[in-house]
Amino acid sequence: MLVKRADIIRLCAEMAVLVALAFAVGVGWNHRVLLNAWSGRATATAPAGVQQVAIPLPLGLMQVKELFDKREAVMIDARDRNSFSGGHIKGAMAMPLSEAETLIPEFSGRVPKKAMLVIYCNGYACEDSVELGKKLISAGYSSVYYFDGGLPAWRDAGYPLGKR
Amino acid sequence: MNNPIVKHLVAIVRIVLGAIFLYAAVLKIPDTAAFAGSIAAFLVLPYFGNYLVAAVLPWLELFCGILLVTGWRARPAAMLIALLNLFFIVALAAAMARGLDVDCGCFGKGKNGPPLLAIGRDLLFLAMAMLVIWQESRRVPE
Repeated sequence: MLVKRADIIRLCAEMAVLVALAFAVGVGWNHRVLLNAWSGRATATAPAGVQQVAIPLPLGLMQVKELFDKREAVMIDARDRNSFSGGHIKGAMAMPLSEAETLIPEFSGRVPKKAMLVIYCNGYACEDSVELGKKLISAGYSSVYYFDGGLPAWRDAGYPLGKR
Repeated sequence: MNNPIVKHLVAIVRIVLGAIFLYAAVLKIPDTAAFAGSIAAFLVLPYFGNYLVAAVLPWLELFCGILLVTGWRARPAAMLIALLNLFFIVALAAAMARGLDVDCGCFGKGKNGPPLLAIGRDLLFLAMAMLVIWQESRRVPE
């Protein structure tokens, strides 16, 4: 029994060493990305010279609907104003990427930096939501996501739309 | 039960399991943000937590994979792989139960099939890891 107990302790110790090693190397290797994610900074240069950007994280339709139902996130439409007027996720606010530089300072004054932001545009091939997300991360927002299905996925699912 | 055929078969299982996790790690290590995105889809961790797990987990898979392939300290590596797979299975099942459309991100972004397939794959890896643990435990000196 003593041998077995010592054996289990040794096994646990070896596993702990492996986890600690992976943690140290993983955090060391990704320290710039982690620092960016932690502080909300937008860009950093990787050691290999590759440009790495703190990017918003993608969410699927079901996750966005869950956040919408619980009113846990601020929905932001990154498309142009004409598209927004034609139809948008109900309750979303318009922030066209082309107007981001002027709209973000005003937005920062109204919405706390800890708020969860979900940005969308015209779906998977649309980069505007990711680009706008990067700008909002640069502005200090730490919880920024993009809905990669965008308005088409939302509309096709029959979820609530707003028009004006 | 010291059948040499069984011994060699388990050695092959150990090397294959190690190679699979080496492959999975090598695919994920260069793209931490994409893997963080896959983890974020589970809606379990906060924003920074997704990045932290995405930074550390592939390295754990890499080290375990190396140990399994070489056979040195294979038992703790197989034990960690078994625990990881148990965790993956629970996370995928919970996501399915919540109706989330997740991609497990196991082998990089967008190459992983539906969650049910990922659960089946993880069950197979879990069984392989258990086999290695069983074999390695019999080799532990008294």
